[in-house]
Amino acid sequence: MPIPSDEGWIDRFVDRLPETRLFKLVASWILVPLWARLTPVKPLPGGPHPSFQHGDNVQCMMNLIMPLKDKSPVGRALAALAIAQNKEAIFAGLNNVGTVHFARFVIVGDNICMFSVYDGDFTNYIRDFIATIGSVFNAVVELVEGGEEVIPCEDNVEAFIQWVHERDLYQVPDTATDFLRDQEALNGDRAVSPVNDDLTLLPRKLVLQLRANPNVSLGSGYRAYPGFSVAQVRKHLGVGW
Amino acid sequence: MVDASVAKRLVQAIIDNLPEPVPGRRPVHTIGIGVKGEFVASDVARTYCIAEHFNGQPVPVSVRFSNGLGGLEQHDGWSDVRGMAIRFHLPDGTGSDLIATTLGEFFVRNVADFFEFAKVAKREPYQRRHWLLKIADFLRLKVPPRNPYPNETENVDAGALRYANRHRFSQLGIFQVGSIGAPESYARASYHAVHTFWVTAPDGVRRPVRFSWQPVAGVRNIDPADVSRDKYLFKELEDRLKRWPARFMLMMIIGEAGDALDDPTKPWPATRVRVVMGTLTLTEVPKDQEAAGERISFNPCRLAPGIEASNDPILEARRCAYEVSRELRDGCPFRWRPDNANSK
Ligand code: HEM
Repeated sequence: MPIPSDEGWIDRFVDRLPETRLFKLVASWILVPLWARLTPVKPLPGGPHPSFQHGDNVQCMMNLIMPLKDKSPVGRALAALAIAQNKEAIFAGLNNVGTVHFARFVIVGDNICMFSVYDGDFTNYIRDFIATIGSVFNAVVELVEGGEEVIPCEDNVEAFIQWVHERDLYQVPDTATDFLRDQEALNGDRAVSPVNDDLTLLPRKLVLQLRANPNVSLGSGYRAYPGFSVAQVRKHLGVGW
Repeated sequence: MVDASVAKRLVQAIIDNLPEPVPGRRPVHTIGIGVKGEFVASDVARTYCIAEHFNGQPVPVSVRFSNGLGGLEQHDGWSDVRGMAIRFHLPDGTGSDLIATTLGEFFVRNVADFFEFAKVAKREPYQRRHWLLKIADFLRLKVPPRNPYPNETENVDAGALRYANRHRFSQLGIFQVGSIGAPESYARASYHAVHTFWVTAPDGVRRPVRFSWQPVAGVRNIDPADVSRDKYLFKELEDRLKRWPARFMLMMIIGEAGDALDDPTKPWPATRVRVVMGTLTLTEVPKDQEAAGERISFNPCRLAPGIEASNDPILEARRCAYEVSRELRDGCPFRWRPDNANSK
């Protein structure tokens, strides 16, 4: 095919094509669903990557997005009330469990979201909280789609932990190509060099992954003082236990 | 130990891939600017490392910023890796060097990989992709290769991509090179020394670490559409330093058991402890750029007592390769401590 050396109007038009409304519509209504069928992508599991290393086991993130049953201002107000009414319980739980750096409840759209940063193992984190503030979980989860199956959480510990894990967002790795490694791991692809990849497919793979995992955490979080646990911070600051 | 013949072949492989020879100049990072300044260690630095420049006394430094491409053409606005080489001048007249680039991870693990990469990623003619092929890319949800920059007729992009497609370890480095862009200023980019070093604390504890420079002025790239701005970085730095010094923080990331110690293609997680080791203040662009920017010669293995090279084969290969290159271009030799000169 002859390659034109000078840029013509058609080159300029094609270069701008992806920014046009028409192309965006074609991409989202035709191309993305088509490629999702032709090259299916599985949802990647949420939560931190399993690791035995200290730095990866402190300041871990949990990002839960839970759709409210009642998608109206009243439903959102009920969620806000559930948190407000349990303020004391939440503080007491935080102080007693001692592995949580912070926890935030946020309403986005018709979802109640819980974002927290904790030390140690995820299942232990939830188990400890069931023990100390199970009633708060019950009050929140009751308002959430599918929540009735796992409450009261004290009576459904393992199912509750699993339910939370399934709602914890996939954490896209910090480095650009590492989500490819996650995809390979999920697909059992252990190939080593030489392989036959096509790195130019990275954009499509990302699009399809974000179709399979519509809500994700971008990166593992930006920490000002990585590598320190709640216990270490409290000890160094002299604020006890 | 990497012997001299391997080092020569490494340098030759780089020279062979230049658009034209650049006698008397560096075969990569050819275009650069020398700067003077001072480094002051943080209060905590000395508790991690006994090296003299970390004891808190200010030390003078020589820095050279550079564009990564080899060759005499200066294209500041092109997407390219940038270099920041620094020498901490120690009171006894010796020095400790730290060479960093804007690339966080390298794209080959060892010398054999490097030679294979050099074979695959040769300069090839580079033309605008035909619009029909671009449409085919869009339909496959691919991003087509970028348009050539003004006057760009060759590059290694296609070969580097072929290499990356064969070797997953190289994908991060090569992908990042492709999207790295051009900084607004040499003082507005982060630079990473990539390899692992071992530092010794006063209590004898040795820790594996990686070093990065973070600009106090913040990281900022130019608009990628501004690729035709060929020469602005030197003047920007001179103007900036006339107004106000430029500062960088030296961050030291502490590795943990299981982190890649000898593989510069593998990133360390962002969850590792980071220590502020000190502040670099750049004050002046010396008039004599022949000395400050050209003849000055750095070596990543020239290290003060208290810092040691890891067994990273790329780091080890660079020790000899940089001396070979320095001799070829008649660069200024710099005193090595006898115990550091051949310690590998
Ligand atoms: C096998 C791998 C490598 C080889 C063969 C190599 C080779 C070279 C050579 C021959 C020079 C010119 C030296 C001189 O004449 O003074 C140079 C300069 C440079 N290299 Fe490398 N290099 C390698 C890896 C790296 C890595 C991993 C980094 C990242 C930290 C890096 C950063 C630089 C920088 C910043 C300069 C310019 C230094 C200055 O301003 O004087 N290189 N390299």
